[in-house]
Amino acid sequence: MAHNATTRLVAAHLVLVAVATALVLGFVYWRTGGVIDTEQRAVVEAELRGLADDYRQGGLPALAAAVERRLGRPTGRDAVYLLTDPRGARIAGNLAAWPPGVVPGGGWVTLDLYRLDDADRPTTISAVSVRLGRGERLLVGRDVAARAAFDATLVRALGWGLAAMALMALGTGWLLSRLILRRIDGIAGTAQAIMGGALDRRIALSGSGDEFDRLAATLNAMLERISALVGDLRMVTDSLSHDLRSPLGRLGRHLDAALDAAADAETRRARILSARAEADAVLAMASALLEISRIEAGIAAEQFEAVDLAVLARDVGDLYAAPAEEQGVTLEVSAGDALTVAGHPQLLAQALSNLLDNAIRHAPPGTAVRLGAEIDGGAPVLSVADRGPGIPEDARARVRQRFVRLDPARGGEGAGLGLALVDAVARLHGARLGLDDNAPGLRATIRFPRARPAGIAPAGQLKAGP
Amino acid sequence: MPRRILVVEDDPETQAYIARGLAQAGYAVEATGSGREGLYLATGGGFDALVLDRMLPDLDGLSLLKSARAAGVTQPAILLTAMGAIDERVKGLRAGADDYLVKPFSFSELEARLEAVLRRPPDPRTEPETVLTCGDLVLDLIARTAERGGRRIELQPREFQMLDYLMRRQGRVVTRTMLLEGIWDYHFDPRTNVIDVHISRLRRKIDAEGERPLIRTLRGSGYMMTAGD
Repeated sequence: MAHNATTRLVAAHLVLVAVATALVLGFVYWRTGGVIDTEQRAVVEAELRGLADDYRQGGLPALAAAVERRLGRPTGRDAVYLLTDPRGARIAGNLAAWPPGVVPGGGWVTLDLYRLDDADRPTTISAVSVRLGRGERLLVGRDVAARAAFDATLVRALGWGLAAMALMALGTGWLLSRLILRRIDGIAGTAQAIMGGALDRRIALSGSGDEFDRLAATLNAMLERISALVGDLRMVTDSLSHDLRSPLGRLGRHLDAALDAAADAETRRARILSARAEADAVLAMASALLEISRIEAGIAAEQFEAVDLAVLARDVGDLYAAPAEEQGVTLEVSAGDALTVAGHPQLLAQALSNLLDNAIRHAPPGTAVRLGAEIDGGAPVLSVADRGPGIPEDARARVRQRFVRLDPARGGEGAGLGLALVDAVARLHGARLGLDDNAPGLRATIRFPRARPAGIAPAGQLKAGP
Repeated sequence: MPRRILVVEDDPETQAYIARGLAQAGYAVEATGSGREGLYLATGGGFDALVLDRMLPDLDGLSLLKSARAAGVTQPAILLTAMGAIDERVKGLRAGADDYLVKPFSFSELEARLEAVLRRPPDPRTEPETVLTCGDLVLDLIARTAERGGRRIELQPREFQMLDYLMRRQGRVVTRTMLLEGIWDYHFDPRTNVIDVHISRLRRKIDAEGERPLIRTLRGSGYMMTAGD
């Protein structure tokens, strides 16, 4: 797999670099050739005009002399001149005769001719001609074989450049893909190891904080979350089996006792009712678990409505004032103005009722339990504070989990699902369950997301009026 | 003539449990496990109330109820569900259910709720009741006062509501969850018996030394308000 990816990456890189290089070099070639051609033609045309001037000033002899003079120049090796009489017979120049088919004054032509000074091989000439005053003809040109040689040199140079670039592209492509794929291989290797059972393995970070590190960190966070969930699930399963055993065992014993033929009807009935109570407790636990799962699945979120937390606190407070009083505990409710959030009224009431239930149960007689619905730091907060024993700091994270009871001696009271439900309800609302020291006691808070000012239109809409 | 109840429940054990219990309570019961058959029977008429399971193999309880309501069936209906109260309750009531019970439920809960939905709403042409009585206890709904044997009883607003609720259902079982729903509008099961505390405080106020207790506790099911024996 990795090999295929390397090959593909390198090939793609190579093709891209080659095409880009070829485009650049092609442009260089085209521009260079074009400039040379244009300049050469300008020079030749200037020469032709100069020679025509010589003819006008000094007649045919002066022109012939000028042509011979130019042919003698060492720089004139590529130059081609021909001066003929009106019939085409040579007067001066390095061509034998007027080339057939060339009309004097007919513009640029390209000819394959034999030069007098280099008669071994034909040469390609680019030339322009003119008809002089008394019918004589003058042709000036340049041997373009030299130009072709230059072209060949240029193409060769460009070819080498292209080859060098391709080689470099091959190298850099391979390096780049190795760099990238090595990191991916690392991630894949870790994933393989995790699949193989090493659930605690994590992807190594290079420490550079680059995209791969960020990817690895995200994947590691995901793995942590999954492993926490798996751990949670395992704990729930273990706890469920454990917590089911005791009541089901008692239930069995009650039923066995009820079967005792020696017992009178009243005793039997009492035992059956005890069995019934155990069954109810198990059912209540199963219902609570089911409810927590469904809350966690977010199913209730579609039934959100505007809930006034102040009203909620007063109502739930009203329900619990009497039970608190029976325990010798004062329930103080501090809920002022309307404090509206989007939420599920039943679930919020249930969560608050669980918190109050805990607080009242643990508050020493003669103390107060405070229930508040207030704005704190811009966020709506429900709070329940008691003066009981509180929760040790190291246990505060744990008690949110299902089946966690702080005091195993209190085994009879609740299944350890109360705070787990509160936590699930808080998370459903995007809120956070806080468990803090009330010095002494516990202060439980449900902190909702910061409220958006209700009833105020966005700025854009306010301006939109006429 | 006994009142006829249609029970649509696909689980044979639950169906038998409900049918047997209702028959013992004096109802005439017709039971089926099929939603389609249930709809056919319900629209055929002749029933005083419907007890429908939420989940059925062919036509689920919600759809059955919606179709029946659309077909003009107005008899009260109670939906049973194993799916938890939080999200299903609202759907059930929207579909036209009069009450909603989460499985597992105790039979007394179903019986109490069935009785509650079967009670005909008061005829709107008659004057609404302004005074409720139970033995020598008198609740004046206009003046919002309570008296027993000429003795004035001071009640908190919630206590007044509870007494109102119980007195309107004299001689019938009122479960704890019914009270929690009827007075506080909460549809969950509080972990402690808060309702018992409220009832015992109410009792202390209405039953003076030597007076006959008016609110009875029915073990395993709930309470009943009665002046008789």
